[in-house]
Amino acid sequence: MRLLTATGHTIRHSPRLATGLALLALMILLAVLSPVLVDAIGNGKDPLELATYERWLVPSSDHLLGTDQFGRDVLAMVISATSVSLQIGAIAGVISTVVGVIVAFVAGYKGGWVDNVLSTFTGILLVIPTFPLLIALSAYAKNVSLFQVGVMISIFSWPFAAKTIRSQVLSLRSRPYVDLARVSKARDLEIIVTELLPNLLPFIGVGFASSALGAIFGLVGLEVIGLGPGGVIDLGQIIFNAINTGALTLGAWPMFVVPIVLLTVLFAALNMINIGLEEVYNPRLRGVAGE
Amino acid sequence: MTKTIELSGVQQRFHARGAAGGYLTAVEDASFTLSPEPPQVVSLVGQSGSGKSTIARNVLGLQKPTSGTVKYGGKDIFKLNRDEYDDYRRNVQPVFQDPYAIFNPFYRVDRVLWKAVKKFGLATSRAEGLALIERSLDAVKLDPDRVLGRYPHQLSGGQRQRVMLARIHMLRPAFVIADEPVSMLDAQVRRLFLDILLDFQREYGMTTLFITHDLSTVYYLGGSVMVINRGRIVERGPVDVVMHEPSHPYTRLLLDSIPQPDPDQRWTGRIEVDELSGTAEAGTPKATAPETPII
Ligand SMILES: Nc1ncnc2c1ncn2[C@@H]1O[C@H](COP(=O)(O)OP(=O)(O)OP(=O)(O)O)[C@@H](O)[C@H]1O
Ligand SMILES: [Mg+2]
Repeated sequence: MRLLTATGHTIRHSPRLATGLALLALMILLAVLSPVLVDAIGNGKDPLELATYERWLVPSSDHLLGTDQFGRDVLAMVISATSVSLQIGAIAGVISTVVGVIVAFVAGYKGGWVDNVLSTFTGILLVIPTFPLLIALSAYAKNVSLFQVGVMISIFSWPFAAKTIRSQVLSLRSRPYVDLARVSKARDLEIIVTELLPNLLPFIGVGFASSALGAIFGLVGLEVIGLGPGGVIDLGQIIFNAINTGALTLGAWPMFVVPIVLLTVLFAALNMINIGLEEVYNPRLRGVAGE
Repeated sequence: MTKTIELSGVQQRFHARGAAGGYLTAVEDASFTLSPEPPQVVSLVGQSGSGKSTIARNVLGLQKPTSGTVKYGGKDIFKLNRDEYDDYRRNVQPVFQDPYAIFNPFYRVDRVLWKAVKKFGLATSRAEGLALIERSLDAVKLDPDRVLGRYPHQLSGGQRQRVMLARIHMLRPAFVIADEPVSMLDAQVRRLFLDILLDFQREYGMTTLFITHDLSTVYYLGGSVMVINRGRIVERGPVDVVMHEPSHPYTRLLLDSIPQPDPDQRWTGRIEVDELSGTAEAGTPKATAPETPII
């Protein structure tokens, strides 16, 4: 209940956050409806199947965004690719946030040598150049699934979440209300979950949004150099195809432009959420705690 | 119930970069006994940074001393079995300094009281628990309707600190460890707070370790006093004796640094609750917007 009112309050006070959430909601809606939309576009046929239509059709009322080099409907491709991009964001976002939060809480709350070991490990992962390693990993692991790529990307993105959240845990764990909980016989886990976690929700939200963003663009990066997972089309792969086939010179500009526009919107939406959360919650948390 | 709290040779060091030896000694060889018979106030006074809060945290089991022991009922508090631990927790309870940071901003203030009810099994039903909470709020001159259901930032510092006292009233511990509980309150609320504490001592037999840097508060409370300087307890004795014939130069220094050095002039009269509510609480228009703190 408190959570809902707080959320409502927060959104009302930050147009940026509201816009970001609205844009993201639209894209999620698009992704959720993608099977239906693709069916509707196909009108009995599968618009994503090779050679369903003629190749390189220019945009028309039948094919709003034209067709690609294999005779697939570009609009249908873009819609289902959006869903794939969001999926990778969600997969990697959830994994890195969960791992990051657990590591951060254990390290920050326990302190001592546990913290030293975990922080050193996190620190090492943070300084490893991520993208080249990701390239190496994907080149090595042929025919990886979307989920596997998500896991691979998470390996490199959880340390960011862990690092930000740990510093927050450190600052919260010495609060008097934690001491009060301890003299009220609360156990460590109970303190973490009921005293610390609620106050960290905005930071966890920020961690999630950044990891998701990183994963979406990481996948685009892999696709653009031809190392994406097999069997799925994400926005990056459409761009890769457009570049590779010289689609722009054939008049098939939507194949290049539309995915980029969608990615830009997604980037903007997640960033607005990120900045909005930070903007609203930092002063607000301070305001509530130390007013 | 005649269990005592007994500190012997408590030393607390912290790692500190740049300090000699790589550590800082916050408390050195602190030994004293708090006895519940008779109920009394023992003040611990010293400058900022002298190690007062560290001793409080040691006594409360929040910080394990580097060496020396804190015993409750003759047993080391860090080696208690389950029943002994429950008994210790129930009977050694804090009031902290900062009435703002003591509440988790995420929850309503009631939660602190309900937590006490549940964790210490004070009531068997919700109704019984609520009755208990309301009675305790009454005991600290708070109107339950004005406090329950509110968020901490909607209460004043004095109100929040009295909610902590209400918690003490519910638990009736044998020992209250009060770490500068009034340093952030204004003079009027401060006296109200101290009077409630003295009432508790009289009515429920609570012994208080009262930590402060303010000698006039020590004087008001009476009882005995320990003076701490740079982690060492340098002087102890009945308040009247220590205040009039300080034997340690540091105590003399502390006494001399009071702006109004007239310890004979006790604060006169007790503050009447009606007077307070007349001037401060009832006088304010009823808060309508929930964001507006009362008082
Ligand atoms: N967790 C800690 N880590 C490192 N140093 C600490 C820690 N807690 C306290 N200290 C140091 O120990 C010394 C004593 O601190 P303490 O909080 O006990 O003083 P105090 O007498 O309560 O002061 P004040 O009146 O300002 O509250 C200080 O120098 C402080 O910096
Ligand atoms: Mg202190």
